[in-house]
Amino acid sequence: MLMTLATLAALGIAQQTDTTLPVRAGVRLEVSNFGGEIAVKTWSKSAVRIAANHSSRDRISIDATEQYVRVKSEGRRGPSQLVEYDITVPTSMALALSGVYTDISVDGSQGEVTAETVEGSVKVSGGAGNVSLKSVQGEVTLEKARGRISLSSVNETITATGISGDISAETVNGDVTLTQIESANTDATTVNGDITYDGTIKDGGRYRFSTHDGDLRVAVPEKAGVSVSVATFNGDFSSCFPVQLSRKTKHRFDFTIGSGTARIELESFNGDIRLCRPGQLKRDKHEDHDDQEEE
Amino acid sequence: MKDQWTDRLSEYLDGDLTAGERTALEAHLAACGVCRVTLDELRRVVARAQALDDRPPAADLWPGIAEHIGVVSLAARRVDGRGRRRLSFTMPQLAAAAVALALFSAGSARLLFRNRPPSPTQGTTAIMTNVGMSPLDARTAASVAALEENLARNRGQLDTATVRVIEKNLGIIDRAIRDAQSALAADPANAYLNQHLAQETRRKLELLRQAATLASARS
Repeated sequence: MLMTLATLAALGIAQQTDTTLPVRAGVRLEVSNFGGEIAVKTWSKSAVRIAANHSSRDRISIDATEQYVRVKSEGRRGPSQLVEYDITVPTSMALALSGVYTDISVDGSQGEVTAETVEGSVKVSGGAGNVSLKSVQGEVTLEKARGRISLSSVNETITATGISGDISAETVNGDVTLTQIESANTDATTVNGDITYDGTIKDGGRYRFSTHDGDLRVAVPEKAGVSVSVATFNGDFSSCFPVQLSRKTKHRFDFTIGSGTARIELESFNGDIRLCRPGQLKRDKHEDHDDQEEE
Repeated sequence: MKDQWTDRLSEYLDGDLTAGERTALEAHLAACGVCRVTLDELRRVVARAQALDDRPPAADLWPGIAEHIGVVSLAARRVDGRGRRRLSFTMPQLAAAAVALALFSAGSARLLFRNRPPSPTQGTTAIMTNVGMSPLDARTAASVAALEENLARNRGQLDTATVRVIEKNLGIIDRAIRDAQSALAADPANAYLNQHLAQETRRKLELLRQAATLASARS
């Protein structure tokens, strides 16, 4: 589809839009794009610069009020073709970015970020407060964000690194990898993929990791006080450190480490579940990969 | 374009929003055409779910469903001597039960009993016990069926690649659902398996809702 759009765009004469407008604190940027790219970076100025490459057949409209700056593109007949936005915003500006056949990237934001696309990747570095990233068919990647984090894909992987706050990550057909996480509340699920969590286990925290066809790898720091519930139907459980089972039923068992004030639920229907210490998971994964290559 | 309210329209229809959220959403609806269109589409889905089937389901399966959705079955009434009174059900109950039957019996029965000699009594018991159907599950099943129909009707609104991806992932979820149902056949009371089945069924519902929203946004 992107190829088609690119071809169509090539039929029109390329045109550049480049506009800078002053904005007050608290103003939100809303960008919607049918196909192409939305790339947002930040600066220290109280202004928004909107640069866009597009066909001469398309028109970029910018609607600025005291609440928002709204950017969209329109073709003469229906949606625009292929528009590549390169937008620079104040660091704390809230962002609402959406597209259909659109890759979305944000670099350096310290504000709220909502980014949604259907066929394209979402890659965000930064973000604070509510950070919500969604794609149907595209990788979702987040790093260096804090706040309430919601990550969703359908047919691709989710990767989050260096995040602090409440985290929800959900995909259907892809891995979920959460590393360098500082969270007291994390929920990660997939149907066909592995889940890796390497981060804090805070006292009183709640952590839930669930997959159907895939392995779970979770790091538990040595000083963590956590009660762990493990459920698997066809998989195995292993731990890099000794554990004492406290309750065991068919397909499910529990054990407690230290004070047990945090709670971890681990569920994999067809996969293996492994607990290790922080830093060991990466080695494990590499060893698994090496084993597969040897086979 | 989606906004912060698009994903909450279902909750609005279900009456699950707080008074404040409801007021805010209604104010938003007045200004947002996309959300109004999506809401209309969801209303049609609900209406179709309620109109899906007004026939009572197969008699041998109904007692189990009735028990699980909280109504007293005809058989039970006969046993306790109050069978003269005509049993009546609301449309949502009937629709939920009928769709639940279609969903769970068509898919799971084939898997569960393909290697066994046909035995309606045995199969019925296994399906209904294993499903562990609560009223919520029945509503979910009804919604899933209605949204599947909606997706089939509106797939032309979506790009073929998107349809392929959605159908592929629905297939992945369906496989997980079948796995859970199959496991439950051997271990009906297993809490993990029941929870897993419910989770995957709800996940399917969410993906179908997402597809419906995408199709509405493109129409």
